[in-house]
Amino acid sequence: MNPATPQSPIVSIANVTKDYTLGKVVVPALRGVDLEVHAGEFISIAGPSGSGKTTLLNLIGCVDTATGGVVRVAGQDTKQLTERQLTHLRLHTIGFIFQSFNLVQVLSVFQNVEFPLLLQRKLDKAQRRERVMQLLEQVGLASHAKHRPNELSGGQRQRVAVARALVTRPQLVLADEPTANLDSVTGQNIIDLMKELNQKEGTTFIFSTHDAKVMSHANAVVRLADGKFLDRISAAEASRAMASGGH
Amino acid sequence: MGHFRLLLQVAFRNLFTSKINLLIGGIIFFGTLLVVVGGALMDSMDSAMSRSIIGSIAGHIQVYSDDSKDPLALYGSMSGEPDLAALDDFSQLKPFLEKHPNVRTVVPLGTSSAIITSGNTVDLTLSRLRELYKTRDDAGETPALRENIDSVKGHVRQMVELMAAQTAKSEQELGGGANKDPAEVEALARARTDAFWDTFEQDPYGALELLENRIAPQIPDGDMLELRYAGTDLDAFQRTFDRMEIVDGQAVPTGQRGMLLSKLFYEEFLKLKSALRMDHIKQQRELNQKTIATDPELQRWVKENQTQTREIIFQLDPLKTREMVSRLQKLLGTQEAGLEPLLTRFFTLDDDNFDTRYAQFYAELAPLLELYRLRMGDTLTITAFTRTGYMQSANVKVYGTYQFKGLEKSAMAGALSLMDLMSFRDLYGYLTADKKAELAAIQKQSGLTALNREQAEEALFGEDSGVLVAEAASTDIDDRAAFLGAEETLKRDDLLQRVYSQQEIEQGVALSAAVMLKDPEQLEQTMAELRQAAKDAGLKLRVVSWQEAAGIIGQFVLLGKLVLYFAVFIIFVVALVIINNAMMMATLQRVREVGTMRAIGAQRSFVLGMVLVETLVLGLVFGAAGSLVGSGFMAWLHSTGIPAGNEALYFFFSGPRLFPSLSASNLVAAFVIVLGVSAISTLYPAFLATRVSPLQAMQTDE
Repeated sequence: MNPATPQSPIVSIANVTKDYTLGKVVVPALRGVDLEVHAGEFISIAGPSGSGKTTLLNLIGCVDTATGGVVRVAGQDTKQLTERQLTHLRLHTIGFIFQSFNLVQVLSVFQNVEFPLLLQRKLDKAQRRERVMQLLEQVGLASHAKHRPNELSGGQRQRVAVARALVTRPQLVLADEPTANLDSVTGQNIIDLMKELNQKEGTTFIFSTHDAKVMSHANAVVRLADGKFLDRISAAEASRAMASGGH
Repeated sequence: MGHFRLLLQVAFRNLFTSKINLLIGGIIFFGTLLVVVGGALMDSMDSAMSRSIIGSIAGHIQVYSDDSKDPLALYGSMSGEPDLAALDDFSQLKPFLEKHPNVRTVVPLGTSSAIITSGNTVDLTLSRLRELYKTRDDAGETPALRENIDSVKGHVRQMVELMAAQTAKSEQELGGGANKDPAEVEALARARTDAFWDTFEQDPYGALELLENRIAPQIPDGDMLELRYAGTDLDAFQRTFDRMEIVDGQAVPTGQRGMLLSKLFYEEFLKLKSALRMDHIKQQRELNQKTIATDPELQRWVKENQTQTREIIFQLDPLKTREMVSRLQKLLGTQEAGLEPLLTRFFTLDDDNFDTRYAQFYAELAPLLELYRLRMGDTLTITAFTRTGYMQSANVKVYGTYQFKGLEKSAMAGALSLMDLMSFRDLYGYLTADKKAELAAIQKQSGLTALNREQAEEALFGEDSGVLVAEAASTDIDDRAAFLGAEETLKRDDLLQRVYSQQEIEQGVALSAAVMLKDPEQLEQTMAELRQAAKDAGLKLRVVSWQEAAGIIGQFVLLGKLVLYFAVFIIFVVALVIINNAMMMATLQRVREVGTMRAIGAQRSFVLGMVLVETLVLGLVFGAAGSLVGSGFMAWLHSTGIPAGNEALYFFFSGPRLFPSLSASNLVAAFVIVLGVSAISTLYPAFLATRVSPLQAMQTDE
């Protein structure tokens, strides 16, 4: 069930390169990648370690800028934006789910989810409360609102992170290896949750993963190798490719 | 608003997650406590001391001549009395100062010091005997006088016996009296013979002379005492310094010459030493909870009382000796007949018997003794160096003793005895108008003497030095000669009876003027205005605050404050470094968290605010705790007071206890310092935190 494809892509990447400098050595992480992601897509980025998955996500997530090429997020060329504007873009357009959950330890579950809303300063207290509780409801942690992150299991923590990423109703959610620190059942649950939200809310998800099972939920799998775009295949093709011994 | 609440929440939550925070908190807590308590104590002591200085002698402002070589130091300086130029006519200065609307009263002052000799007991007794014989010569003998003479004679004879006994004893102990003056030995032997006493009445003055010149000097206990005194208008002084109160005797009658000894001086230097030591022991036991068993100083006093009984024994004539022996026998329940062993036993004190013995001493023994070497109404001969350096003596009647309420025990406040301005001027070497006239008359009479002297000198030094001597002799008035001639007149009794008018008191020399203000708050302003007025009027005056006038003492609290602030400074520098380091570590530990926040969409300003608020909260929480504990401590001190353990502190505490109070400014100062230090020490770590890249959040644990 493919959602309707809107006219303009939410992410548009053209011939993007990214070099890292390690001492005197320049290490190319991306060597010219092109990619378009449309609203409502549920896309997995796959590839072996060092293929540039994380770098690509960072560029899309506006936490890093490309060395060459153009990265457009929500129609804006990230190269043209100031640090402040990039932060603003992240706050209002993008949600992040991290491999290690990255919750603020000293805040409660509720406060962690509320955090981006406070930064946005758009909603009043009651509205925030409603929104946060709705999200916690959706991830099944409404009863844990007052708990601290360290009182939760890994899966629960990642659910909180999902809730936090979605609470601002972003157009785009990025997840770098969201299941890597979870056991397979829990990881499966998280992907199910993301998929559910993708379908219900129409939120665009881009996530990277090693896991073929996880990949299988994606609308499409973008494969990278050595910093280069390899192909864009369906989840089924990807599973087959994985099964046949390739990455 | 939610924004800030979040910052606070993060800050509060972080507060107790790290042990380093507790360390920082501890330092801030201690620093604040120190600022609050130390500051409040210093301020309280400052104001207490200012009350002491202002209320005891200085007034708010002191005015003195600008020609003075030294700055005014009312409590003396390291190098003795400061060299001040005199204010020639106080009556000119007074209206000038009183013109200022903020001036309440003006009191003339002059401080100086002199040596007085309080003769030993033998001297005193002999002079009493001499007085009695004089009375007999003047008024004829009465049975009562005869009895009195015989009693004193008996006393003197007993002293001679005691001296002989003691000499023998010390010779025995020290091994031979080979280097004794044979004339003295002979005189003592003669004074012990019955023949000497049988023939006493035939030539009482001759006999007295032998005793005075040959016997009395063999007792070496005559004291030379330094007496610091302030010459002043005594009535004005009493009105201005209302903490002053008469303790013994009475005030000096208005307009008369006379002296009020400082009660402390009277006690410390003129009281019978044994009694004084009893008082000291009592005070140390009661005020400072010391015990004879543990305190070496108290033990020393007990020991001295046991061995130094001579002062008591010498005081007693045979009759009183018998009485004291019988009283002591009764008190101690013993048959011992010797007074000295009895006294030694009586003064064998420990913590159990002290209170009883103290009461017994004053109830049973003291009535038989002269507790003070000087009685109210006695005349004191004061010998001082005048400004020009020669000796000047004056007889001044001691009317009473005085003290400043609350400063009874302060050696500083009790350092000055008070004297009328007339006597002060005599001793200072300045002449009042009638004195000048008197001197002129003497000068006329002594013209012949002067001439004779000139001739004598010429005869002595021969023709060559004639010109020189003639030059020296031809100066208008030879001060020295004038005063040599005047010395007798200064001691004349009719001077002591004279009543001087207020005008006479004020017209003449004073060294400084103490000015009491109506509104002490305007001290600085009033001083500036007085300076300007003096300049306009062409008066060469120095106008100084009480603090400056007090000399070194005035600097004491300033010094204390400097030490305190230095300590506070060091503590907060250390705090600065530690907070800085701790926050750096905390920031590094929280790179992931900060990165996450940045990735999610927190601006750099948010991160900066977060770190700053965190330290400020830390500062506020522990600063508030420190202030609270400090305030509680001060409240406790305020109700119980800090006892002035030693006498110097009485002055700084303005009484036996300091009841320090905490002012809002102490708290405000503490908070400003704490917040300032926390903010400054966090600036760099906070800056570093803003540089954390959102990329840091993406790092995996791999």
